[in-house]
Amino acid sequence: MSSINSNKKNKIALIDCNSFYVSCERLFNPKINNKPVVVLSNNDGCVISRSTEAKKLGIKMGEPYFKVKELVKKNKVHIFSSNYALYGDLSRRVMKTLKSFSDKIEIYSIDEAFVDLSHIKEEEVENYGKEIRERILKWTGIPTSVGIASTKTLSKVANNIAKKNKTGVIYLNKNIDTYLKNFYVSDIWGVGKQLSKLYEKNGIMTAYQLKNISNTWVKKSTNVLGARTVMELRGIPCVDFEIEEAKRKSCCVSRSFGKKVESLDKLKESITTHCLNAAEKIRNDEQTTKSITIYIRTSPFDKNRKYYSNSITIDLPVATNNSLELVKLAINGLTKIYKYGYFYQKAGIILSKLREASENDFNLLAPIMEKKSKTLMQAIDLTNAKYGRNAISLAQAGINNDWKMRREHSSKIDTASFDFLPEISV
Amino acid sequence: MKLTIPFYLHKVGAGFPSPATDYIEDDIDLNSHLITNAPATFIIRVQGKSMVNVGIYDGDLLIVDKSKDPRNFSTVIANINEELVVKTLIKEKGDSYITSGSKNISDKINLTENPEIIIWGVVTYVIHKQQ
Repeated sequence: MSSINSNKKNKIALIDCNSFYVSCERLFNPKINNKPVVVLSNNDGCVISRSTEAKKLGIKMGEPYFKVKELVKKNKVHIFSSNYALYGDLSRRVMKTLKSFSDKIEIYSIDEAFVDLSHIKEEEVENYGKEIRERILKWTGIPTSVGIASTKTLSKVANNIAKKNKTGVIYLNKNIDTYLKNFYVSDIWGVGKQLSKLYEKNGIMTAYQLKNISNTWVKKSTNVLGARTVMELRGIPCVDFEIEEAKRKSCCVSRSFGKKVESLDKLKESITTHCLNAAEKIRNDEQTTKSITIYIRTSPFDKNRKYYSNSITIDLPVATNNSLELVKLAINGLTKIYKYGYFYQKAGIILSKLREASENDFNLLAPIMEKKSKTLMQAIDLTNAKYGRNAISLAQAGINNDWKMRREHSSKIDTASFDFLPEISV
Repeated sequence: MKLTIPFYLHKVGAGFPSPATDYIEDDIDLNSHLITNAPATFIIRVQGKSMVNVGIYDGDLLIVDKSKDPRNFSTVIANINEELVVKTLIKEKGDSYITSGSKNISDKINLTENPEIIIWGVVTYVIHKQQ
């Protein structure tokens, strides 16, 4: 029998998928293993994921595609448009695999998660990390790095070191300062551009220096978050685990156009489609909205044409998630901000002031109307879930959407849809 | 990806509708039957006719579990020369081989001698459309 609450040491692992989007593209296309590969953002705009080989060629994160086109051509870099259906499904698989180890996980982003390993014995924790890494690789084919330490901030540091480590796993429990001395302050989790500028101006260049800064100075010169980071570097956990996926407070759907759009009709189609998608999203989360914002803009980089950007926010008297109602309002708003003679590059809508559908305002007329529309919305959502997105839509959304995103280099695989399954030749 | 078929407790008969339709048990859930480990299971469509002798036809769907270890005569997806292929795995005297499933021994590849060949996953079911 163990004594009550034996003083267990905090152990937090950060699991981070290596070049996640590239790894996803490689899963069914092993020909691009060990080759330079790059994934581009929406509309093939910027580089958002690079294989190690591509990094070595000097391709930077976030660089516009046109800037690296030469390099790509010369070195036969494989280019992919982002395929979020595939990345999303593989991300869910990675997270589910992680859950086979522990329920105490916090999904931090599409390719990162924190796992609480405090219950694992000190001498077994590194091996446990290796097991996690191996299982994710075997089950999903996605390589990861695992960094384990006593706080979230230190586990981020550990992960960075693990990425350069052969085994891909590190438990940062000794010689921590040696690592922190070689760790730039700007690379620390939670230290943004502004903050790292401030630190550097005050001669704080490394994580080690920041760790040993005086409490009074931090409290005086930064905010609560800054002080928290310092505590975390010292091994005192200050950032809680967020296991419950918090419901969103706003829902935003926007796209850049593949081809610039001039006519109001085409903009209406795009706004309607975004509106339908957003409404479906909040219905899925059993939420309603009290405010809708519509915005449109032309390209700020187009030197030959005039720039125009505008938005309008409409507050709703009664919170709703009814597609028909929202589309009507959105189109109304769009007509007010649309100006003829511009070439629009982006349009979007934001539903904000979201709340639980159950906590709706009391309204005498609402119940009857609502029941009717609720049944209709449910029917639409069910049909779309069954027969694919936009099987049922509004005529307003248009049928021939030539404004849609440019995805020239997409792998067109979706492991969660029968229409786009990976294929194998025999 | 949801495959469900309603499952009735009474026999199919012509004519008068059975009052037992009120007692629909539950939907048969092909997912729970065909997929034991969801995060590791992928569905892959087959293109080509070279695996007909092991019962895999053009257009068939393979249910592939990456978490499983292959047994003797398992159908597997293997990565050979950076290409995914469908093969049969054979175990003989402690060695593992992959073949195209034909009786022809000549296409046997010894896995111990070719460590660069990776077993990508194990085929657990083949879904073939009959009509």
